[in-house]
Amino acid sequence: MSAFATLASVYNTPVAMHGDVDITDSNTTTGSRALNQFLASVELKAFKIAQSALRHEHDALDAVQDAMLQLTRAYADRPAEEWRPLFYRILENRIRDMQRRRTVRARIMAWLPTHRDEEDEEAFDPITQAPSEELTPPRRLEIDEAMTALEKALHDLPNRQRQAFLLRNLEGMDVAQVASAMGCSEGSVKTHHFRALKALRARLGEFST
Amino acid sequence: MTLENQELDDFEKRTRALLEESVTRIDGRIRSRLNQARHAALAELERPRKPFWRSFALAPAAGVLAVVVLAVVLWVPRPGQLLPVTEVASNAVEDLDLMADGETFDLIQQGDGGFYEWAVAQADAGQEATS
Repeated sequence: MSAFATLASVYNTPVAMHGDVDITDSNTTTGSRALNQFLASVELKAFKIAQSALRHEHDALDAVQDAMLQLTRAYADRPAEEWRPLFYRILENRIRDMQRRRTVRARIMAWLPTHRDEEDEEAFDPITQAPSEELTPPRRLEIDEAMTALEKALHDLPNRQRQAFLLRNLEGMDVAQVASAMGCSEGSVKTHHFRALKALRARLGEFST
Repeated sequence: MTLENQELDDFEKRTRALLEESVTRIDGRIRSRLNQARHAALAELERPRKPFWRSFALAPAAGVLAVVVLAVVLWVPRPGQLLPVTEVASNAVEDLDLMADGETFDLIQQGDGGFYEWAVAQADAGQEATS
């Protein structure tokens, strides 16, 4: 494929903006529209949370997709206020399942001579991977380094601490909502969040952005 | 608010800003995939869902049917069905006893077949009388 064709395919890809959806269908009900708006509002942050836990893009996408499907199948009829904690609870369960499966797979693969993950062999496309914002190179480098360090530190946190931290600081949920999403008491959420902050501070120090 | 809490808050603000920045940097390919996933999830709403109660409506009938089939299989004797193992074993033991019995062998060798012919005739006569 020529470089032009590659570029053309990129530009022709129906890239969805945040919250972009076709709601012109006359069959689209108010309920599905509300659910669509909700899913659009959480999908990017949910992806970051899943990616932080799994450190794998495809797995993170799968986890978010499964959570969306599960929420739609089982809880679409529930009040919209309940969707957010339910969604993140489903997502966390899915992430945990994937982590367990990955552990088992790693044990099995350790016995095999060589294993190469097919997904790692995908060609790196600099155009699709490139961030869209215009930043000066030193500033971008500075942010990239801080972001990489933060993501690494988050990944190394215990699951519950990471979950509490991200739901509070990325999703912006209050303690009660986080407790509902995590299926624990508000006191436990505060403890997990405090410990996560302490661990991150010890790890990252006073990094600046 | 203590100094430590103030520092924690500053730290949280910075991490929050960094996390939000990382969200804005999610590339178009991932956004497209998430958009597709959302549409696929919403398509589930359009599918007609089977009522909850319907999945259990035929459960009692299916249970009764299963019990009846099991009973038929277990208790009704089938034509040409083999004898139970214990019965076959006892018959074999009796045959062995007969063959090992020296008197029976002597009777056959002496050609005293008249007794057996009489016994068979008596048996036939008994069957005709009862029928």
